[in-house]
Order: sequence, then structure tokens, then C-alpha cells
Amino acid sequence: MTFLFRGFLMKKLMTFHKKKSWTVFLCCVLIMAGLIGRLAYLMCFCSERYYGRAEELHERERDIKAARGLILDARGKVLASNRTVCTVSVIHSQIRDPEKIIRILTEKLGMKEEDVRKRVEKISSIERIKTNVDKSTGDAIRECRLDGVKVDEDYKRYYPYGSLASRVLGFTGGDNQGIIGLEVKYDEILKGKPGKILTTTDARGIELDSLGERRREPEEGKSLWLSLDINIQKYAQQEALKVMEEKQAERVSILIMNPQNGEIYACVNVPEFDLNDPFTLNTPRDTAEMTEEQKQERLNQMWRNPCLNDTYEPGSTFKIITMAAGLEEGVVSVDDRFYCPGYILVKDRRIHCAKRTGHGSQNFVEGAQNSCNPVFIQVGLRLGVDRYYRYFRKFGLLTKTGVDLPGEAGTIMHQEKNMGEVELATVSFGQSFQITPIQLAVTVSSLINGGRRVTPHFGTAVSDREQTKAEELVYPVKEGIVSSETSGQIREILEKVVSLGSGKNAGIQGYHIGGKTATSQTLPRSSCRYISSFLGFAPAENPQVLGLCIIHDPKGVYYGGTVAAPVIRSIFENILPYLGIEKTGENSSEG
Amino acid sequence: MVSERRTDFEKTDIVMLVLVVVLTVFGLAMLLSASEYNGRVRFGDSAYYFKKQLFAAALGLGIMYLIMNLDYHFFVKLAPVAYLVSVVLSIAVLFVGQEINGSRRWLNLGPLSFQPSEFAKVAVILFLTWQIDRWKKKTDSLWFMFRTMLTLLPIVGIVGSNNLSTALIILGIGVALIFVSNSRYLPFIGVGVLGIGFAIIFLAAESYRLERLAIWQNPEKYEKGFQTIQGLYAIGSGGIFGRGLGNSLQKLGFVPEAQNDMIFSVICEELGLVGGIVLILLFVLLLWRLCVSIMHAPDLQGALLCGGIMGHLAMQVILNIAVVTNTIPNTGITLPFVSYGGTSVVFLLGEMGLALGVSSHRKGVYTYNRK
Repeated sequence: MTFLFRGFLMKKLMTFHKKKSWTVFLCCVLIMAGLIGRLAYLMCFCSERYYGRAEELHERERDIKAARGLILDARGKVLASNRTVCTVSVIHSQIRDPEKIIRILTEKLGMKEEDVRKRVEKISSIERIKTNVDKSTGDAIRECRLDGVKVDEDYKRYYPYGSLASRVLGFTGGDNQGIIGLEVKYDEILKGKPGKILTTTDARGIELDSLGERRREPEEGKSLWLSLDINIQKYAQQEALKVMEEKQAERVSILIMNPQNGEIYACVNVPEFDLNDPFTLNTPRDTAEMTEEQKQERLNQMWRNPCLNDTYEPGSTFKIITMAAGLEEGVVSVDDRFYCPGYILVKDRRIHCAKRTGHGSQNFVEGAQNSCNPVFIQVGLRLGVDRYYRYFRKFGLLTKTGVDLPGEAGTIMHQEKNMGEVELATVSFGQSFQITPIQLAVTVSSLINGGRRVTPHFGTAVSDREQTKAEELVYPVKEGIVSSETSGQIREILEKVVSLGSGKNAGIQGYHIGGKTATSQTLPRSSCRYISSFLGFAPAENPQVLGLCIIHDPKGVYYGGTVAAPVIRSIFENILPYLGIEKTGENSSEG
Repeated sequence: MVSERRTDFEKTDIVMLVLVVVLTVFGLAMLLSASEYNGRVRFGDSAYYFKKQLFAAALGLGIMYLIMNLDYHFFVKLAPVAYLVSVVLSIAVLFVGQEINGSRRWLNLGPLSFQPSEFAKVAVILFLTWQIDRWKKKTDSLWFMFRTMLTLLPIVGIVGSNNLSTALIILGIGVALIFVSNSRYLPFIGVGVLGIGFAIIFLAAESYRLERLAIWQNPEKYEKGFQTIQGLYAIGSGGIFGRGLGNSLQKLGFVPEAQNDMIFSVICEELGLVGGIVLILLFVLLLWRLCVSIMHAPDLQGALLCGGIMGHLAMQVILNIAVVTNTIPNTGITLPFVSYGGTSVVFLLGEMGLALGVSSHRKGVYTYNRK
């Protein structure tokens, strides 16, 4: 009876207990199904994101430096390459025998023991002991197989020719990045792409050896081919040093280029500096007394390339521009006659000719041969400010040349509205304004090559290390600067300047050379410091090479025709045969 | 007696037993993998945590075997005593407890340490079973519900003072058991609404709790979301099939205390979505077997015992996985059978012993014997 009752009661009780238990169970199952859905969402759709984040967290990157691209001259000689150097560091957690490490590193690296000890005993994940260690020393340390000592190979830029074309090539800094010169201009091409070593670490940053490492190999930088020819550069430098010594000049710049396409064959600025040691001043001065700032200032000065970073008063070489404008505009012809009494009055000013006694009666060509100031002042005045300024602009003198080196300086010129007749007169013979030497060379190039303004440049092609695929670099050319007739007349007149006139010291037996001398006084005029220069080109009929020599502050005789013209002659004598420019023979000039 | 016990054993829910053993072994394996790094780094012994857990699991399995062969009514009779003891121990731990990671939750008993809050869960299941069984005729009244909850307040308060999550579980067990013992549904909807309202007030009362909500929404923006986000990284890294057993990278110090609350994330990283789902399904199967035990329980006591155990297990599994998957804000609840914690494993296996005991006293057999 009790059993029956209990059974009945239980049945009733269990009915709702069962129901409710099932309800609880089903709720749990539903929630868990939801959680499975959530899990599936996280692990299928968010997986990539979280996996990536986790990967970032676990991976440590070490860069592998890429070898910097080579810089090669026009004939494939290596001007800048890389030397393998080593970086020695210690990993504190892996050191077993610190005393032995300190002893060996002190001995091999030639460092003070206390310095080595400090770094070895410092508790850090990795401590650099010394960088730029010779490969042989690095190998010797590696041979010792010291636990916790790491020798990593690294590249350091190396310039086989030392100081040659130092301001053109430039140099690189500690991270192999270009600092000046072509190294910085073509940094993107030369630097390559660093590789990476990816290692997985735990939360403490300890690498997990079992998982190994993944490497992404570095991409070597591309090679840069230059128009610069090491032989021409060397010879020009030799001549520059010679004249600098002879004339005890402050400095000498020589620019040799191809006026037809703007390729620069040589760019010398003596004194040069050692590219393998660019942080040492090239002047024998006591650096100990200088402050850091003064030293840096001097280094910055030393690194400047005067051919394009600095401007100067061009003087008589600029008469070529006045000549071109006058001929092109038709205000003067080669047969026009002029009279030079030794001066000319412009407004109320008396402007002297270089020859105080005067050149007397002369035609335009003779005026050019004599480099007669009154002749060119008259041509300038005939043009007037408006037209002169228009030609100044048309010839490209107000824009930069676009040379592939950093920091090109612009022209310093009177504003058109401030230019009166006196200013016009002085500009006509190359005074009272400043341009860069490269600007002068390029402008004259475009006037004598038939009227095409070329872009001066060093880089000609980019190739990979194997030199299989070369990509030519193309530079803009602006046509129609002057007519080809005017260009021809300019060439003829300038040839006569060398064969018969002030530039005769540049003449070479068997070659037709064109050119123009210049002697300008630097500011302030009272200091009696001069710049002697000569611009020459050959062959005169079809110029293949143009040279500009600028001598700053020569002592003694300072006339451009006497001092600078022989330098260009000497260079041309050597490089014309080298460049395969044949002698014409018939019309010889007296040397 | 001997022959009777054998027949009892034959009636034991073998499926449930197998599930419990499989979960225990699986848990130990995953614990070994997840704790290997922390053990090596902190104690110089890769198996440090594993060894302790292995000992606890062995002890627990022994206790489970013992309990499943004893009459569960015996334990229900001890319930008031057990409840009192758990209250005393929970108070004791506040004063003489060993402090680990900034909270006093352990009592030192010689070489062993003991977490009274784990015992409290079992005690509450037994105590509620005892109460409901005694008042079974009046369990539908609101007064009964209220009074029963009131008897839980001391333990919830004491445990909650330093371990809110466990107090929440205890409260949940209470609600589940009262829900099962009551034939009505409506009051529980009211209780649910009240609970949600209470939770909102509770959260709003302290700004740091609201901060927790903000962290939950955007774990990557907060420093305190570190654990959550590391867990998510681990889960996300797993993909479908995982990195392979033992290959977790997140356990290498990235997921803090990978052997504890966040162990499920390491399982997902190593065994993938497949491993995670299989583990959840194992838990679902175990809950189903517990539910079946309720259906076949010989009396109310047995049904309530199994119900309490089912509620306890389900709540911990759900809350743990929900936290690890950042479905709910972070709260420290361990994953049954898998997370590191000796006391937890011993008492959990003890509870399983009770459930297995109930399953072996099937209806009919039991009533026949009693008669």
C-alpha cells in the first residue's frame, strides 16, 4: 500500500522533475550549441586576424643588411663597392665563461679590458661589442667558438680610388645610407632591400630553437653606371693638382662633359677628400681646438661640390651668352665694327675694358678674340633689358640644370624690374650676378651643340649585379634654344678666340678647339682675389667634349688665358685621342 | 552483500563512467601540455603541475569508486553537517588561508592544500537535496523558495567575499535545484528578471565592474584585456585542426596561467576547432547521462543529487568557455576535469561518484530492496 502510494506520488513528482530537468538540460545544450557556433566563428572567420596578431607577437625580426649596389665608371671600373666587415656582440644568457670571453675579445679587438668587461657583464638580451671589425678578425673570433659570442657579417662601403671624384660619388653612413653625392641621389636604386631572419620566441623573448628560423634573403642593390670615366677624372685631377700647386691656388674645379648629350666625364674639385675616411678634414688643421659644431661646419664645407653647390661670377666666359643672344636676335653680325677706347660710358658710369689703352677699331669677331668689354656691353645695350632678360630665361639660366646630384644651387640674378642699363652692361660681360659652373657649362653646351639644352648627368644606366639587364637612364632635352646657324657662328667665333685670340694657350696642334677665357675678381673687389677660368670645347665644328677649368685665387699671374687655358689644353691633348676624336690636321694653330 | 554490490555495478551507468574517465585522462593530457612551459620556467620541472594533478585525479578516482558503491542516502543524511563544515572551513580560510596570487582560497593541510569553496559546492548540492526532500510537499510555495535561498546566503556571502565566481556557481546550483523541485515556471521568469535587474545594479554600483564590460567589448584597447586577447589569439591560431598536441605557442607565457581558467584556449590552439567541439560534445554527453540518471532515479533525493551535479557541471563548462571565447566578460571559472586544481578534481570526481551511485540504484531495484 505504502509502496503503491509512494509510487503514485513519485510518479506525479517525477513528471515535473523530469520535465524541468529536461528543460535545464536542453537549455544547457542550446547554450553550448551557441558556444560551438561562437567558437567556429572565432576559429574560421577571425582565425586569420588572430593568427596574424599572434604571429607578430611570437616573431622577432633581425634584419640582414643588403649589399649596396656598385657604382661603375663608363668603362665598367668599380668606383664604389662593399667590403665585408663583422659586428661582434654577446648574448648574455648564453655566456658560459665570461672571463675567457673578456680575455679573447680584449686581445683580438684591441679594446680596453674594462670596456669589454662592462659590455660582457651587462645584463641585456644582446650587447654589441664592436662594429666594423675586419673580416679576418671576425673569423678568428668565430674560430674560438665562444658560447654567447656572436659574429655577424655586415657590409661596409668601400671606395677603391679613395679620394677620386669624392664629391661626386659621395659616401654612406652607418646604416649604409647615402649621405652626399650620387650615393644619396641614387640611394633608392643602390640600397637594395634588407632581408630578415624571423625567429619564434616565447613571452620572455627567448628564441625557440626547435622551430628554427625563417629567412627572407636580402635583395642586393642595383649597380649604377656612370658617364664618369676614371681615366679622364684621374688625368683632370692630376692637372688640377698641378695648377693648384703651381699657382698656390685655394682650390681648382674642372668639369669635363659631352656637350651633345650632357654626360659628365669628369668633375674634379681639388683638394678632394678621402671617401673611405670622410669624417676627417682634408686640410691639415688642428681639429683638437675646434668645437664639435665648428668641426661639423668644416666637414659640411668640405663635402660641398663647388661645381654645382656654389655659385660664382663667371666673368668673360659669359660673353658667349651675350654673343648668342645678340646674334640670335640679329642686333649684331660678325662683321659689325666697334671702336674700343679702353672704356665705355653707360649712363653716367665709365666701365673700363680689361685693356685700359683700348682695342681700337675691331669687328665683332675680333672683339670676342680680344674679350673686349665695350663690344659686349654695346651688344647688351642693343638688346635692351627686356630682350636680354628674355634670352637669359630662354637659355635656361634661371632654372636649375637638373644634374643628378643633390643640392644644386640656383642662379643669383637681378630682378628684371630692378635691372637698369648699368646692370645690363655688367651682366653682358659676366659680372654682377652669379651662376654655378655646371650652369655655365650646360648653357654653353646648348649654344654650341645646335641649340639643344641637355641635362647634365653622371648616371647612365642601372643594372643588376650580374650586369645582364641594364636599364638606360633617360634625361630631358629641350630643343630650339638657339638656331643652328647662330650655334654655328658661335662655334666659329669661339674657335677664332682660341686660334687667334685670348685663348691661344688652349690650342692643340691638329685640333680645332673653341673656347673663351675669363678672369673675374671676387667680392669684395678690394681683396684682389681672382678667379681664372677657361671654357673650351673640341672639335670646334662638332663639339664632342667641353671642359671648364676654374681656378680660385691663383697667386702671381691670374689671367684665365694664361693660367686656366693651358690646363684644358693639357687635358684635351690626352683625352681627345682617348675618346677617339681624330686630328683634323689641316688647320693648325700656334701653341 | 557482495553479490548485491556486483549487480549494482552491472547497473552502473557504464557510459557515464567511461565519459568521466575519458574526460579525466584528456584533461590530464591537456594539462601536461598547457602547464609544461610554466612548470619548466617556474619550478624547473615540466611535469610539476601535471604530477600534482595526477595525484589529485588518482585520489579522486579512488574516492569516486568508493562513493559510487555506497548508498547515496547516507551522504544526504550527512548534508546538514557537511553544510556546517563547509561554512566553518570557508570562514577559516578567510583568516588562516594561504594566499596565492593575491587571494586567500587555500587551507594548508600538511603537504596538501585544500580549497574549501570546492567543497562548498558539493555541500550545497547535498544540503539542498536534504532540504527539498524533507519539505517535498510544500515546495511549490514562494515561501519555500525564499527560505531555501535564505539558507544558502551564509555560504554564498562567505565564499563570495573573496571568490565571487564560485559564489555565483553556488547560487546557480541553488536556483537550478529549486527550479527542478518546483512544478511552476512563472516565478522563475520573475526570478530571472529580478536577477538581471540585480546584476545591472551590481555592475553599475562599482565603476571597475563597468570597466570590465568595456574591456569585454574591446579587449585589445585595454591593458586588463590582456588575458582575454591572448586567449583569443590562441583560439584564432588554432584554425580547424590546430597546431598539433604540444605545439601551442600562446602557452609559452603569452596566455597568463595557461593551465588554469584559459586552458580551453590552449586546447583550441593545439587541437583546433575539431578538438574544441569534441571536448564540448563530451561534456554534453556527460550532461545527457546525468539527465538520464535523473529520469531513472529511484527517488527524489537521487534525482535532486543528479540535478545539482548536472547544474554545477553545466554552469562551469558554459561560463568557462563563454569567458575564454570572450562571449561574456572575464570571470575566473575553471573548466571541469581539465583546469589545474587538485581540490576541484577530487570533489568533482566525488560528485560523479554520487551520480554513478544514483544511476546504479535504478528505480524498481531500489524500491524492491528497500521493501
